[in-house]
Amino acid sequence: MISFWCTALTRPWTWEWIAYPGIWLATILPIVAYLVSVRRYPAKVDWGKAAQFIGGWLVFWAASDWPLGTLGAGYMASAHMAQFLLYTLLAAPLILLGTPEWMANRITKRLRIRNAVVWLGNSLVGSALLYNVILLATHAPGSVQALRTSQFGSFFMDAAWMIAGFILWMPIVAPIKEARTRSAAARMIYLFVAASIVSVIPASFLTFTNIPIYGIYELAPRVTSFTAVEDQQLAGIIMKIATIPIIWSTIAVIWFRWTAQEVRTA
Amino acid sequence: MRRAALLLALVVLLAACGGALATDELQGVVVDPPQPKPSFTLTDTSGDPYDFALATEGKAALLYFGYLNCPDICPVHLAQIAEVFDQVPDVARNTEVVFVSVDPQRDTPDAIREYLDKFDSSFVGLTGTLEELKAAQEAAGVPLAQYVGDGEDYTVDHAGWVIAFAPDGLNHAIYPFGVRQSAWLNDLQIIATQ
Repeated sequence: MISFWCTALTRPWTWEWIAYPGIWLATILPIVAYLVSVRRYPAKVDWGKAAQFIGGWLVFWAASDWPLGTLGAGYMASAHMAQFLLYTLLAAPLILLGTPEWMANRITKRLRIRNAVVWLGNSLVGSALLYNVILLATHAPGSVQALRTSQFGSFFMDAAWMIAGFILWMPIVAPIKEARTRSAAARMIYLFVAASIVSVIPASFLTFTNIPIYGIYELAPRVTSFTAVEDQQLAGIIMKIATIPIIWSTIAVIWFRWTAQEVRTA
Repeated sequence: MRRAALLLALVVLLAACGGALATDELQGVVVDPPQPKPSFTLTDTSGDPYDFALATEGKAALLYFGYLNCPDICPVHLAQIAEVFDQVPDVARNTEVVFVSVDPQRDTPDAIREYLDKFDSSFVGLTGTLEELKAAQEAAGVPLAQYVGDGEDYTVDHAGWVIAFAPDGLNHAIYPFGVRQSAWLNDLQIIATQ
């Protein structure tokens, strides 16, 4: 079977591989464009950054393609949640970390979004609000039902999650220096509030509601021995717990760098 | 800033609006006027005769015609009912789920039992000859199953809805594919008391 992008299927789950050329293109094109650009650029290639960039897109591919993408599109709420977290907490920050500043400047100027990016990176409230609005809007039952049932809708949802990830991490690891929030304390508080507070609301709904919220997963043939409610509870737990190691280890890194800098200054 | 906060609050509210709310009214497709319980006798998975009307007398009953190779509708219907039963064990104890296989060629009594046990071991499985199954479907007022395709991989077009009978012996509502667990939870509790 071949399909442009993952979408909800109205048949029982099988381990039969499905080809998604749209997802391959979306993964390969930025990597090829990146490699061509860095080779052409006069400065020495930073292969560490290149590895982060490529790693980020490979995480995007793993989260979008078969089997996780197929499961998340129409079979399991827990897979849907794992996809969201892979996009926003791993793929997006890795891509930002791996993008050289000259490249980010060139892209944002060409797309005429440089001012918006700089504003977002410095407006912690704006970034936190925007990220959480996308998070809540794309996890609302109506949105999931409407978007996951078509390839275009599913593509839109995945793209929205990647954009949400970029917005969340912009103040912390933006490739453009002016778009990075300078105060370490503000960055730590921002990351905790933006990534951990509002997400508790949908996570709690998913964990503690005794009826399935998402019709698309409830009415799909079961993949495992989990009931629809158990699968949903697992999604809630993933949402609550999976953010902890990444967010808190980032906060720890910011903290240690900050204190080290303070010691040096003193 | 205030606008952004309002937007966030609105999105939170929308996100919270998941399933349908519980009501005093049936959320399935209401049968008006309610229809009497059909009378037919088939064979259960132990090989004993099962008189549907007699065996379910005074209890709620959910009657469904399906087949084991059904790829989507049958397993989802049965999973939905089994999962709702877990939440209302009192209702489950007084509700008989009767699955009639309309594919006697492939669905042996042992296979039916094994299949139903994956959902709930209390579910009753019935089978019979093609003539007996035809009589049961006609009595229940559902379209006769049609066998599509040749060889071993044929499919069966069958009625895709669950027929719910209350303890009063009447069919008050039917449940097509797509009924949510919130609706089942609401309706099973109403049906059990009618």
